Amino acid sequence: MTQTSLSTFLLAGPELTLVVAALVAYLGGAFCGLRQGWLVALIGIAAAACWPGMGLEAGSVVSSGPFTFDDFAIFVRGFVLLAGAGLALVQAGDQFRGAVTPRNTPRGNGTCEEAGTFLLLLAGLSLVASANDLVLLFAGLELVSIPTYILLALKRTDAQGQEASLKYFFLSLVASALFLYGLACLYGIGGSTSLAEIGSRLRSGDGRIVATAQTLLPVAVGMVIGGIAFRLAAVPMHFYAPDVYEGAGPGNAALLSTLPKVAGIVVLLRLLALGTGGTLGMIALNQGVVGPAGAAWLTFFWQLAAVLAALTMTVGNVMALLQTNLRRLLACSSIAHAGYLLVGVAAAAAADSTIGGRPFPGPDTSWTATLGGASATLFYLAAYVAATIGVFGALAYLGHRWPEWSAGSAPRPPREEVATIDDLNGLSGTNPVVAFSLATFLLSLAGIPPLPGFWGKLSLAMAALEVDWTAKATPGSRRVFFLALAVILVLNAAIAAAYYLRIVSAMYFRSAKRGVQADGGLGAGIAMLAALVVMAMVTLQPRPLFSAAARAGASIAAPSTIGGLASPSPQTLAAPQASIQP
Amino acid sequence: MNPFSPENHLLLVILTPLVGALAAWLLGSRGVSAVRQSAAVTTLITLAGAVLLILRALPEVSAGHAFAVSEGPWLVDGPFDIRFSLGLDGLSIWLFGLSALLSVTAVMVSWEAIKEKPVGFYALLLILESAMLGVFAARDVILFYVFFEFTLVPLFFLIGIWGHDDRRRAAVKFFIYTLAGSVLAFLGLLTIVLWNAAHTGTLSFDIATLTAGLAAHPLPMNAQGGWLQWWVFLALFAGFAVKVPIVPFHTWLPLAHVEAPTGGSVDLAGVLLKIGIYGFLRFSLPMLPEATAAAAPWILGLGVVGILYGALVALAQTDLKRLIAYSSVSHMGYCVMGIAALEPVAVEGATLQLINHGLSAAGLFALVGMIYERYHTRSIANLGGIAARAPWLAFMFLLFTFSSIGLPGLNGFVGEFMVLLGSFQRAWGGVAAEWRTPYLTMAVASVAGVVLGAWYMLWAVERVFFGASRQPPAHDHGDHAHAAPSAATHGAHGHDAHGHDAQGGHSGHGHGHAAAEPTDDLRWYEWAALSPLALFVLWIGLFPATFLAPSAVAVRTAMAPGAAAFAARMGAPQAAPHDGPVPQTVQADAILPGAALVPSDPSLTAGLERIP
Repeated sequence: MTQTSLSTFLLAGPELTLVVAALVAYLGGAFCGLRQGWLVALIGIAAAACWPGMGLEAGSVVSSGPFTFDDFAIFVRGFVLLAGAGLALVQAGDQFRGAVTPRNTPRGNGTCEEAGTFLLLLAGLSLVASANDLVLLFAGLELVSIPTYILLALKRTDAQGQEASLKYFFLSLVASALFLYGLACLYGIGGSTSLAEIGSRLRSGDGRIVATAQTLLPVAVGMVIGGIAFRLAAVPMHFYAPDVYEGAGPGNAALLSTLPKVAGIVVLLRLLALGTGGTLGMIALNQGVVGPAGAAWLTFFWQLAAVLAALTMTVGNVMALLQTNLRRLLACSSIAHAGYLLVGVAAAAAADSTIGGRPFPGPDTSWTATLGGASATLFYLAAYVAATIGVFGALAYLGHRWPEWSAGSAPRPPREEVATIDDLNGLSGTNPVVAFSLATFLLSLAGIPPLPGFWGKLSLAMAALEVDWTAKATPGSRRVFFLALAVILVLNAAIAAAYYLRIVSAMYFRSAKRGVQADGGLGAGIAMLAALVVMAMVTLQPRPLFSAAARAGASIAAPSTIGGLASPSPQTLAAPQASIQP
Repeated sequence: MNPFSPENHLLLVILTPLVGALAAWLLGSRGVSAVRQSAAVTTLITLAGAVLLILRALPEVSAGHAFAVSEGPWLVDGPFDIRFSLGLDGLSIWLFGLSALLSVTAVMVSWEAIKEKPVGFYALLLILESAMLGVFAARDVILFYVFFEFTLVPLFFLIGIWGHDDRRRAAVKFFIYTLAGSVLAFLGLLTIVLWNAAHTGTLSFDIATLTAGLAAHPLPMNAQGGWLQWWVFLALFAGFAVKVPIVPFHTWLPLAHVEAPTGGSVDLAGVLLKIGIYGFLRFSLPMLPEATAAAAPWILGLGVVGILYGALVALAQTDLKRLIAYSSVSHMGYCVMGIAALEPVAVEGATLQLINHGLSAAGLFALVGMIYERYHTRSIANLGGIAARAPWLAFMFLLFTFSSIGLPGLNGFVGEFMVLLGSFQRAWGGVAAEWRTPYLTMAVASVAGVVLGAWYMLWAVERVFFGASRQPPAHDHGDHAHAAPSAATHGAHGHDAHGHDAQGGHSGHGHGHAAAEPTDDLRWYEWAALSPLALFVLWIGLFPATFLAPSAVAVRTAMAPGAAAFAARMGAPQAAPHDGPVPQTVQADAILPGAALVPSDPSLTAGLERIP
């Protein structure tokens, strides 16, 4: 269907770099006694970030074979590399310590395998963002899932860890099967594996397609969102999260609460663009037209996403209120955040599902939208991931606490991992920097201004309120639905503050009985501080991140809905250098 | 770049406390006295800057213009046109000054009380000051909201770390309660922004632009257009009513006040409660007039319920601080009532009452803190005869009590009188016939609150300050080992204070007690905390026009849409005769001492002459 050439490989350079680095780590670990796996990972990520073609010209769309490199793909790629560096540091935590005292840790041998697997995961995630083909989309998503199983199984060898990794493995298989079934339905509707082809046929208004779509589209939407819900840890596939997070170490919990969610959101937005056109539509026919089947796709999409969003937010937060274990609590909070993200996805789908032209113009003006659901989701995702990496970095850095032991009486009991909220009591006295960072991250997750989480919630609330903006709010209308969603969103933010504040209040308002050891290693500490710096930068000036997210989201939304933003113009496509038309 | 231009002056005043917080942190290793001195100096510099700014602003602001308007490009080129835009106008100017003034008090009352982690305490107090100044200076909706929410964070830590026994629950409850309300207000504000954008074509977050935009394109409030205005009003109400707090949303307040350290209570009662009423004046009245008019009778009713409920519950308290917390609920009821009456005199009175209550409640909370520091109890039953040991402390308490219960000649009288006058005007001449009885009932009931207020406050004063001495002997502050250097200092100043007592020839309460020597009297830093407040209590009481005139135009402009909507909805027909009691024409200068200073602009006294 499409030709693949050297230029395609050049475009996917950063991903290939990651894969090469993974091979180096695997082979070096196996044959050369390499122990600094995470160092290789960091170097690989840095090399990928330095790839010359990384930052394509803003607004340009380059499509080749199964890939489409638009602003969305570039944004996600940069974001994944940054988050990957942070996560590698968190994961590296005790490994750097192991490097100082070699051959002391029993698991020292696994680091290269872990690091290599982790690099493959990043490469898969980056590929998902640029996928223009169902097959690549699925393969990329599996390249995210399979390394996750391995990482979960490698890190923890006790019963709890094994239970966590098995639970995750089996459920993930079910989710992948559901998702694949959804993709098969899409293939059945569109008759092609190319997203651009499917999209243009959906939007064409062809009678046969419409007839097929009527029966198959609801199934496809349900299966796709159901499968992705597992990656997001959204209702109804959320129940595994607390158990698995508790069983995984802080590094893996950080990974689980960020990268699969990024993958899920990226896939949802890419598939949503089937209906809107987005930049995928630029290279196909029927651009700017939604068509009945496209509208149906988007309508099913937003309806399901909105219902799941409302349920997920509420269920996650209510579950989190009941937790005392830190990782279980953060797992529940990550469920809630998946719900917030789905609000943005639903808004993105709803904003574009009006047939034909601009969906919500002002009565007497050309004003349209501020940021749009897709951009708001991406902004929120960035704010969430930065804070989450920080939180888990801090927890990994804290490591263990001193055991309760009086000298002379009995053998010293083994040190205990920092696991419950009570273990953080009095942290502001013993580790003031960690306590301050943790408080900042948690308040950002709670959405307290002026931290990044607040700007994220602002854009999500704005996106939800913008849907059908000028329509009258009659009961049962889409407008009322989204108004209610916005209300649920902000009320959930208030509920969430309750459990985040419980942690803050433990750290600041209680006194420590036993201090923590802070033996998690340098890497986790660096990750925490780096996340804190990112937080501070976005707090003081959120504009660059807003602009980047707005451009990236514009690739997803239908071209006609992008008001003040520079939407990609067909001219950039015609520029021949790297573009290979299908 | 002129560093003394009004815009930079305003920005500097807001940033100074942050610099002071940094300084306090850097001085942390030098011990508690260096930290608190730097905090005191910072608040004094901020106050001086704020006073100068207000003096510069008065001519402009009195004419109804905004002063020192700046527009920092914060998020301008992105998808949101959010600006770091600051400025003062008639609504905010006195509240801005009050924040600067009470911050000095908050630092001074903590002088000896805070010995643990002084760096964090003073740094948070200064950050809180910055946020409070910012709330009143913000001219951008989002900037307002950022400051509005951010005030919660420092106070959360102040209550949670330096509070009393139940501090953790109090801090969390305070935070969650206020947050739950304000997130809804946030949605309401965003809805306003979007409505304006959809109808004027430009996405603007500027409060003045929004006010103008919503005046031209009001949110729908009828069967055809939908009830959006009503929902937006309710959302804003949720945020501001919790903040005020309007009964029944007040349950966080007594707990937060009782558990907060004195400095936190001073800021909470003095400034943060005012943000709620300020929000109504800034957003609800000018932007959502029809909904405000529709809700006005109910809000007025809630205000009266608050006055009576707060007073009755205060009457039953055994803890002095709790009593004053409930008196806050009661007194904020007058502000709510004044706003909801939608009558010029009443709304002006309510805005003045904000300042009055800020001064008297802050003073009373400061004094309760001083009593607690001396006798380690706040239980009224365990206190008695303090006037003999600490005559000036008793004098100050009486002064603020009289201010609080509205003794003529002090500030509280002016505000309460104007509120009640406006409410009666509204009841007699401003509502349709079927609403007259409920309005009159509410107005009369609120007068009962004045009586109750005098009852519980004076009863408490009598039990605490007079009669037999019941409390344990005061703890000498000098006996804290780690405060040795400063003990000498305030020991010396303490003698000054005693000197005052001797000269004052105190009237001899407690001659019969063993502890007749006034050894527990105010120390120099306590004088510094209280005397500025006392000065303003007298100043506002004697020359209210000085404070009323600058905000008059802005207040009337803000309330005009709401009042017009009310008149259209349920106002009395202009020519209709009414059967109520016919009061005599009231002249402004006859009822308000010094009101003759009000400029002879007829619009300013229009409200007073409306009574036929």
